[in-house]
Amino acid sequence: MFTWEKLGKVFTPQEVAGRPWLREFAQAPCALLFDDFVRVYFSCRPAPDARGQYVSRSAFVDLDRANPLIVRGVAEQPILPLGGLGEFDEFGTYPVSVIRHGSEVRAYYAGWTRCESVPFNVAIGAAVSRDGGATFTKLGKGPVLPYSPDEPFVLSGPKVRRFNGLWHLWYIAGRKWKLVDGRAEPVYKIRMATSSDGIRWTKINKDLIESRIEEDEAQASPDVSHAGGKYHMFFSYRYSAGFRGKERGYRIGYASSSNLIDWVRDDAKAGISVSENGWDAEMVSYPHVFDLDGRTYMAYLGDQVGRYGFGLAVLRGTLE
Amino acid sequence: MAFRKLGKIFDPSVHRLPNGCVQFAQSPQALVLDDRIRVYFSTRAVDKEGGKFRSHVAYVDMTRDLRGILGVSREPVIGLGGLGCFDEHGIFPMNVVRVGDAVYGYTCGWSRRVSVSVETAIGLAVSRDQGVTFQRIGEGPVLSASLHEPCLVGDGFVKIIGGKFHMWYIFGTGWKKHVPEAEPDRTYKIGHAISDDGIVWTKEEARQIVEDRLGADESQALPTVIEIGGRFHMFFCYRQSFDFRSNSSRGYRIGHAYSDDLEHWTRDDRNPSLEPTPGEWDSDMLCYPHAFECDGRAYLLYNGNEFGRHGFGAAVLE
Repeated sequence: MFTWEKLGKVFTPQEVAGRPWLREFAQAPCALLFDDFVRVYFSCRPAPDARGQYVSRSAFVDLDRANPLIVRGVAEQPILPLGGLGEFDEFGTYPVSVIRHGSEVRAYYAGWTRCESVPFNVAIGAAVSRDGGATFTKLGKGPVLPYSPDEPFVLSGPKVRRFNGLWHLWYIAGRKWKLVDGRAEPVYKIRMATSSDGIRWTKINKDLIESRIEEDEAQASPDVSHAGGKYHMFFSYRYSAGFRGKERGYRIGYASSSNLIDWVRDDAKAGISVSENGWDAEMVSYPHVFDLDGRTYMAYLGDQVGRYGFGLAVLRGTLE
Repeated sequence: MAFRKLGKIFDPSVHRLPNGCVQFAQSPQALVLDDRIRVYFSTRAVDKEGGKFRSHVAYVDMTRDLRGILGVSREPVIGLGGLGCFDEHGIFPMNVVRVGDAVYGYTCGWSRRVSVSVETAIGLAVSRDQGVTFQRIGEGPVLSASLHEPCLVGDGFVKIIGGKFHMWYIFGTGWKKHVPEAEPDRTYKIGHAISDDGIVWTKEEARQIVEDRLGADESQALPTVIEIGGRFHMFFCYRQSFDFRSNSSRGYRIGHAYSDDLEHWTRDDRNPSLEPTPGEWDSDMLCYPHAFECDGRAYLLYNGNEFGRHGFGAAVLE
């Protein structure tokens, strides 16, 4: 079992002033390293509209590289505009995963639209930054990863990596909409696609992680890193119904693989769960693992899926 | 080449159709069988709640000269998609193509949106019973919005040429409120994709293959391709992007383009030209063409006024 030492909550959106689009939530942390700071992208929300509906925006917070518990700055504006009328990302850009590509930074993000019979649909878009990750321009008005026969809706939670010269995109694909007390709730599973250029993707069309707690377990935020000669995936999972509270809400799972395709799930090894009390006492989710100056950190969300911000934990030892 | 009209050949209101559908027989598409021509079309049921339309696929069996009706489908040809799926709120149209012993049905599925009325994508369903019923290969589409085709991928027409699957289809370029108080309208153009198996497609990605005649706000729909004398001819329909429903001068007409290499298309709406007939069922609108060959003759099926509310007709290409 890994041993993660929790360092506490690092960023609290409610403490940021002067940004009406950043009122609450700091979801899906994703780190990009700079010489003297760590830029952590996250997704946030302004106040809901008159009908109680939210849009999601994405931005970043810069943490001190020597002591990442210190916030050095917060983005003045969202990094991406919402999509235009009828476009896939008209009502939200959440979450975002970034990667350096030469002098540019490439972002993959999930775009949200609103539907009549179900509350939303999601697809994955791509954008590029030429100013060091401060602002991004969309590569197109449509999604970079289309729906397909086995992945009919809710393509979300992109995490991009490059291994062995090949682009890899981990994401989730909706399996079904389940009616729970009259409300449609999506069930989704972790999937993968590869690409030689990050634009044209080939899906492997396979569930990577077997479901453990129930057949309709929802799996999210697959975060893959390479260490100790194998690949490690931290992800989050929850029950398909009644998941907004502690008992059936998000927890962090773990799987490992030697080839990026066949994964062995072993949640007991994850080594991080809810605290006795505090900001992450009900749920933990959206793990993001990154190396920084010889230490391995995990950024993650606490209660209400990051409504009050994200925190950090540091690994004792190394991933192996 | 010139069209000789055969008149309206099918009126949905005089037949009992599955799913409680009474009006509309849109986008006729032919499957030539040994002893008949099976013409698929989309007809409409009305939601009990909300009163919105849902399109369903049905067919009519006709004699091989299109003069006689042998019967209509008694059961649904393909059900609509499940909750949240791309084809939950309708299938319109469905294009059929023979692949070995099977018939592939390329569906244009509709799902309703909130800020705009609808999104579409193209699915694949396969029939093993000569087109009586079709089963989806999956719950999701085979062709949908992509980086430079942001919305409204639909109206697939598939033809196998030289062992390759070719699909001509439409993609949306965007939604726009042309008049502030109006609902948003969409504009779409004709695109092209190829495939080795009819399932995994490679798009040309937003290359508009037929030039506009009405300018950037021209919407082009329902391409259909037929080979005549070694040359490929494409028929489609086109209109202005707004105020096209009841204003005949802005509504659908039949367009035409030809190609010798399946890559470069030359638009030539005048040769052949299909014109409205004053006082007839197609006096105000001509749309949703489908070209096919039977017994050495080339036919064009098409809809007339009100987008096919009252049925479809045919013309012979001579």
